Amino acid sequence: MDFQGLHDRLLAINAPGLVGTDEPRKPNPKDKKDKGRAGDPFVIVDAQQLVLFLEVCRDDDRLCFEQLIDITATDPSKDGADLWINVSLLSLKFRHRLQIKCLLPKSAAELPSTVRVYRASQWNERECAEMFGIKFVGHPDPRNILLPDDWLGFPLRKDYEFPKEYHGISCE
Amino acid sequence: MISLEHQFEENVLTTKVDWLLNWARLSSIWPMTFGLACCAIEMMAVGAAHHDIDRFGAGAFRASPRQADLMIVAGTVNFKMAERVKRLYDQMPSPKYVIAMGACATGGGPYYKFGYTVVKGVDRVIPVDVYIAGCPPRPEALLEGLMKLQEKIRNSSVIRKPARLA
Repeated sequence: MDFQGLHDRLLAINAPGLVGTDEPRKPNPKDKKDKGRAGDPFVIVDAQQLVLFLEVCRDDDRLCFEQLIDITATDPSKDGADLWINVSLLSLKFRHRLQIKCLLPKSAAELPSTVRVYRASQWNERECAEMFGIKFVGHPDPRNILLPDDWLGFPLRKDYEFPKEYHGISCE
Repeated sequence: MISLEHQFEENVLTTKVDWLLNWARLSSIWPMTFGLACCAIEMMAVGAAHHDIDRFGAGAFRASPRQADLMIVAGTVNFKMAERVKRLYDQMPSPKYVIAMGACATGGGPYYKFGYTVVKGVDRVIPVDVYIAGCPPRPEALLEGLMKLQEKIRNSSVIRKPARLA
């Protein structure tokens, strides 16, 4: 199924939390500032209902996304109010993929953990949590995965300030 | 009674303590099996047949710091690893030597500016004897570094503190 087919199917089964789509487009020749957008088409999903949405994607007969490829996040701008959560799904049975995007406000970066649906998301969620300061409520093992346990700040946020020293080792 | 005359010339070798100790040390620098990043691949190449670090007596890569004389810091040291590097260095018996291999171990390398968890030079954690430039250095460069270290050991003395290479 192509993206349009997937989107139609999601609408037909009334998938919870589906907000809209974000598709690549060509630049507008009349507007020089408009550079268009390259890349994959996304479906946009409400972050708080992401778990329910993924559950439907996994269990529906026509979608059948058995495999979670990735959960990651993006901080698009320093001044912006939102983070993005990006999820990639793959169906081995039908050989189609789906890219999901959720907007999550930086002021309340919390959403339910998706480990209940895809156990593979454990490490990805831990990485998101330490790099972007996103809290995954209900994660079974919410430790840091890459950074030291006593690390301060969230390095992949655009407003991150680099440490001056760590455990007596200067960073200047 | 046996005469001791003319008994020693053929069987006894006289030398200086310094020379003997230095010769023993520099001819069997056993490195620790310790690779942190892509430089370790070059280090493995040095250990393999073509470059053959065994020619310098330094081919016995030890799996324990307690049996090693040389720590080749081959790769990027981050803060989480720095504590381990320090502990491994402390576990090595004296005399012990450290080679900082490649740009990362020397001064942070490509992570100098934006590597938030990268230690900007392993010499901020442990003392370094020889720095090797390169990203990663060629195997020949590591051999050159090893020869520099041997030169340093050759010029050291057990009586005086070893003079640092300028």
